[in-house]
Amino acid sequence: MSRQVDPAEDAYRDELAFLAAYDDGRKPPGWLLTPRAAVTFIMGSDPLTLPTPVDGLPARLAISQKFVGERALVERAVITLAGERGLLLVGEPGTAKSMLSELLAAAVSGTSQLVVQGTAGTTEDQLRYGWNYALLLAEGPSPRALVPSPVFTAMRGGGVVRVEEITRCLPEVQDALVSILSDRRIAVPELSGTDDATVHAAPGFTVIATANLRDRGVSEMSAALKRRFNFEAVGPIGDLTAEIALVRRQATTALDRVNAPFAIDDVVLEALVTAFRDLRAGTSVEGWAVERPSTVMSTAEAVSVATSLGLANAYFAGDRDPLSLLPGHLLGVVRKDDPADAARLLAYWDGAVRRRAESGTHTWRRLWDLRDVLDH
Amino acid sequence: MSSTTDLATTTDLATLDELVTHRAPFLIGVRHHSPAVAAVVPALLAAAEPEVVLIELPEELGEWLPHLADPGLVAPVALSGADREGGGLAFYPFADFSPELAAIRWAHQAGVEVRTCDLPLSRHGSGYRQRQAQATPLSDALRDKATGRGGDDLWDRLVEAAAPGQTPEAVRRAALYVGWAMRADGTVDPFDTRREAWMRQVIAETDGRRCAAVIGSYHAAGLLRGAEISQEPASARETITSLVPYTFAMLDERSGYPAGIRDPEWQQAVLSAAGDPAEVEAAAANVIVRICSRVRELGHPAGPAEAREALRLAVDLARLRGLPAPGRSEVVEAMQTVLTHAEPLGRGRVVAKAAGDVLVGRRTGGLAPGTPRSGLAPSVEALLTQLRLPGPSDRDPADLRLDPLRSERDARREVTLHRLALLGVPYGEPTATTGVGGADALTTRWRATWTPATAATLPVAGLWGPTLPLAAAGRLRARRADRDGHTARDVVTDLADAARCGLDELLADVLADAAIVLPATATLPDLLAALDQLDRLRAGHSPGVTGDPVPPDLARELETAAVAQLDGLAGSQSPADARSLVELGQRHDAHGTGLRLGAALRGLTDHGAPLIAGAAGATRVLLGLLPPQDLGERAASLVDTASSTSGRDTLRGFLTGVLAAAEPLLETPEALTPLLDRVATLTDRQFLDRLPALRAAFATVGPTPRQRITAVVEQHTGARIDTAHDPVLLARWIRAEQAALAIVGAHGLQPGRQAAPTPAEPEAAPQQGDITPTTRWRLVLGSRDEQTDGASRRYAAALDELYGGGSGEGADRHGVGAGRGTPFPSAREWSIELGELFGERVREEVLAAAVESGRVEAALHLDPDAVRPSVELLRDVLSLAGGLPEATLARLRPLVARLVRELAAQLAVRLRPALTGIQLPVPSRRPGGGLDLHRTVRANLATARRGADGRVQVLPDKPVFRTRARRTSDWRLVLVVDVSGSMEASTVWSALTAAVFAGIPSLTTHFLAFSTEVIDLTEHVADPLALLVEVQVGGGTDIAGALRHARTLVTVPERTMVVVVSDFEEGGPIGPLLAQVKELVTAGVTVLGCASLDDTGTARYSAAIAGGLVAAGMPVAALSPLELARWVGEKVRG
Repeated sequence: MSRQVDPAEDAYRDELAFLAAYDDGRKPPGWLLTPRAAVTFIMGSDPLTLPTPVDGLPARLAISQKFVGERALVERAVITLAGERGLLLVGEPGTAKSMLSELLAAAVSGTSQLVVQGTAGTTEDQLRYGWNYALLLAEGPSPRALVPSPVFTAMRGGGVVRVEEITRCLPEVQDALVSILSDRRIAVPELSGTDDATVHAAPGFTVIATANLRDRGVSEMSAALKRRFNFEAVGPIGDLTAEIALVRRQATTALDRVNAPFAIDDVVLEALVTAFRDLRAGTSVEGWAVERPSTVMSTAEAVSVATSLGLANAYFAGDRDPLSLLPGHLLGVVRKDDPADAARLLAYWDGAVRRRAESGTHTWRRLWDLRDVLDH
Repeated sequence: MSSTTDLATTTDLATLDELVTHRAPFLIGVRHHSPAVAAVVPALLAAAEPEVVLIELPEELGEWLPHLADPGLVAPVALSGADREGGGLAFYPFADFSPELAAIRWAHQAGVEVRTCDLPLSRHGSGYRQRQAQATPLSDALRDKATGRGGDDLWDRLVEAAAPGQTPEAVRRAALYVGWAMRADGTVDPFDTRREAWMRQVIAETDGRRCAAVIGSYHAAGLLRGAEISQEPASARETITSLVPYTFAMLDERSGYPAGIRDPEWQQAVLSAAGDPAEVEAAAANVIVRICSRVRELGHPAGPAEAREALRLAVDLARLRGLPAPGRSEVVEAMQTVLTHAEPLGRGRVVAKAAGDVLVGRRTGGLAPGTPRSGLAPSVEALLTQLRLPGPSDRDPADLRLDPLRSERDARREVTLHRLALLGVPYGEPTATTGVGGADALTTRWRATWTPATAATLPVAGLWGPTLPLAAAGRLRARRADRDGHTARDVVTDLADAARCGLDELLADVLADAAIVLPATATLPDLLAALDQLDRLRAGHSPGVTGDPVPPDLARELETAAVAQLDGLAGSQSPADARSLVELGQRHDAHGTGLRLGAALRGLTDHGAPLIAGAAGATRVLLGLLPPQDLGERAASLVDTASSTSGRDTLRGFLTGVLAAAEPLLETPEALTPLLDRVATLTDRQFLDRLPALRAAFATVGPTPRQRITAVVEQHTGARIDTAHDPVLLARWIRAEQAALAIVGAHGLQPGRQAAPTPAEPEAAPQQGDITPTTRWRLVLGSRDEQTDGASRRYAAALDELYGGGSGEGADRHGVGAGRGTPFPSAREWSIELGELFGERVREEVLAAAVESGRVEAALHLDPDAVRPSVELLRDVLSLAGGLPEATLARLRPLVARLVRELAAQLAVRLRPALTGIQLPVPSRRPGGGLDLHRTVRANLATARRGADGRVQVLPDKPVFRTRARRTSDWRLVLVVDVSGSMEASTVWSALTAAVFAGIPSLTTHFLAFSTEVIDLTEHVADPLALLVEVQVGGGTDIAGALRHARTLVTVPERTMVVVVSDFEEGGPIGPLLAQVKELVTAGVTVLGCASLDDTGTARYSAAIAGGLVAAGMPVAALSPLELARWVGEKVRG
């Protein structure tokens, strides 16, 4: 059956197997790859040659780059996991935190499937264990009636469990993790007196959690829980060309799914990504000050705008040129919750867009001419 | 010249070998600070056995070498050379981990000669410039291979971090390689070429003796070949050199001093480890443990578990990167990952501070005994003599009148005096001068004296630098580094100081800061002040500043930032804000109005408080965004609707706002025409009702522009308003006055309470009444005029009592107003007169206005029982109460008491509905908690069945869960109210609202009033009268301090609300404020910022800081008390 998205360990099965064979150095207990190979898996490399040929594996393979970001960050994340300590990836929405956590889990324990997706409705059961109530009522507490949570499974198997959006869980639910991370065992009082009364974490067990910095209405983590994690802040992509390439790649993938070509000019994409980066950073590429809107201008949002432009172009071909749709899309992204954000977009037009228009770039002159779309 | 091109073509590996094996001289490539190289320098030199050691220092500094080598000297120290004017600076801070110092010390001990080999300062010329950023393919490739992390410092990675456990020769080789790689990446600067030619010449002059050169590793390749004769022309520039003690705090790169290095204490520890990996690891452990303990001291948890993890991370990270021991970068990365919790504001700041304390350290250097006196004091004495200013030999003060823009020497004197003042050296005192028309004076006056205090403070100031310009720059730099983040006001002050003192280099820094700090945090007045300063710099009015240092876009950026501030003006009541708004509009006029400004002005015109709406409307007219007639019509329509007190308040506010733009607006008189017409067509009664409001609005205009308005009015009405008086005419006027009085009497305007207008005639025919348009305008404008007839003169006199001659430009020249009669002997008479002339309601308004303008006695004539309770009146009376003697205060009490009572009662009636049901639990259907077995069985009996073995099995189709027990404990509400500046309506409303909250049983209400201090008035919270009398208004704004105190009141964060009522014009840096907010939010406290708490829903506040607070998690809004009560109710109900 085809899936919308393949998990990392399936999508990169070959690379994982290759790297496991390529680097046979010392591995932390329970790990699939060496730490160095785990970094290589995520950051990519030039073609590597296997020291001794292995059946079913190519002799030479270039590892693709999967995460566009700082290498030092990935190194720290891998080392944190090698110490069996909890890793918390925080960052603004749309900075590929979840993707990074998936890649790390796949590289370390070969599976990214042990995951708890945090919501306000997440209960303790999903972090510790629950019961099959029918069995529980019929037979009383028994290991058969116990429903293990992903965390529980990971502890038994010595794997990596991912907790997505941990700050969306209620604080009392989050706190279930505190004792798990410090004691490294889960007590099952219902089964007391049997061997199953305590589940101990096997070597290699650790947690990767992700959290959003910007979303409001989330539950802050308690200080006790924070102290049990190492924090890594995942920032937006640092490099303009890398970001344009990423936006193009992902928008193309999205259009592939509906069998449409992605026919948006690089010039338009560049203008789009530049505008996103300027508004996100608070300074333009040229170093001019830009007022930041309170909305998150994430790469993921840029991808969705690029996709919309691509779809408009595919389904309403020749109607309007994509550039003329850009200001409206930007306004739609910016004007989410704070009405003042629309004014900030106007200020961006007054400042950076106008100056670029004055300096004579055709694209920006066009965008400046389209300013009336923004001001009603 | 040939050397550079030669090198470029021979960038092959042979060069590398040649560098390493070169023996004449033996090359030791260094950086000025490098513990790795410093540790191996003695061993390298001992092995090379040179007869001469060459050090990369300018020739002039050679005289200090013996003192540097002296065993009594304690590093860090700084060696510097500069010409007397401060130009051509060379600055060399030395620490124990400076390879040069290690070499000098070794040579001294081994008895080997040391020579300087760098180009003499006197021959520098103007050649030096910053190395240009250029493509660095080779370094990039190296970096890619070595670390894979772009942006890494190659030297740090390949020399410092790799050094532990290596042989000295290997370290030397690595250092030379890195220098060569950097050199091979680009063309060599001509200045460097000249320096290298000089070095080669010095080497040639050693005449074949065995020699070792300790030089920047970048230059090593430059010494291999090339001409050995330098063609540098000698110059007669006089150089001042000095050797002064230095500190680690100044050595740290982030202090802003040149030639520094990051984290000197860490470097020192690495030097002590002497290349042993285990020792370096021990140093890392030591540093990490100390940082954790410092974090604990600062009140945040960081235990041994975290320290252990940080060290583990640092060591493992080093291993992953193939390093023998953790370097600085690994330690810092580990600290960040483990300790900061990715909170740049809250914990991040604490950890950064702790790390700074531990890694930078407090080491101070000292000179060896017997080192000659050098530095600031001798150089200032020489400078004063040169400028013919009083020096140590002069006892008498000198009075100076300086014209810095015309005379070169005056400019230098002016700058010198300012610099001494900046250093805190008591020497020159400016005496005030004012320029023509209030403009900047172009000449300045000073009184300068050399006193013993001058002599005593100069050596102290010498710590900042060896010459006056350097010391002044150092002082300013230190002042900036000491701050915990710059506030907008700091930046404006720094800007002024840097400009006055002609500190070009710092000016660039401050301007760069201005570009960052001002747009983000400055209020509109700060921005306009900064723009003024920029204009002055542009115009070249700052002597000592060379050229135009202002980045071309900065002014535009500040103007744009100012536009973003406009939203915060919406609720302002201050004419100064209206003028700022107009000024900003005019600035933008110069280069076209932006979309944002247009939208903001439109918003303000539609939704702002009357004053700001008027100013925004006027600005739109000036910018051509609104036809002048439209504005005029709006003003005129407000005249029509000003039949009630609030209508008249609106009229007064709106006109005041419009008139903030009076002068430029007069160029389009259409804007005023409708108003003029309307005033002329009102009936006398209508006119008189509106007269105080109109007069108050026009009183804010200075007499000089008022003259111009008068001219417009004259043109319009066709009559002269302002005439010279003539005795003959005067007699006729007196007769006319009698007649007029009679007519006024006939129309019911006679003194007395029965003064109602005759019903039909004036209303039906809204022609002019008996007061002619001309006279009306005289009354409105308060023109000094003899023509005003008797009755009108009484009106004029009654109003002059309050408004006098107005304020603003020319106020001192045009003394009294239209009435020009004797002032009223007492407020009592005035009050009676007002009642008779204008009626009771208007009298009250005028008296309230008098109270507002600070006339206490007027308040005493307000009848406590008859007065209409309003928060504004209460505010005004209360703001006076502070300065009153007890006896007068006692007479005011009944009035205040009644106002408070009535207002509190009114408010309570309105708020109570919003707060009812605050204790009722709301049932939640969310499953969670444990399974309720009994209920589950009961609920699922229908699905129970008997199994094959005869046991009953329940199939729980509908499981029932136990919900958590509802929290029943109380909520706590902390109202944090800003009382800096003035008594605001918000303060009064806060007190009244707090009293209502205090009556809610399940809510504990605290009331904190703060300015720079915090007063906890919680005990008075139930009694608004007591509370309001306790409040002391005034002082600065320290919101962070108030929040810090509020935090101590938090016991159960989940059930605590902190509401800050303030204009958010924080007096301190914004960093600590955001940190406090972040702390509260992180703890789980519900926070809310009220930009204002009153009935209008518009506020005046700093939009920039409010924006920062929103980002930190504190929503900011302008609320009415009712909305606040609703919000509180919602939160408590859950």
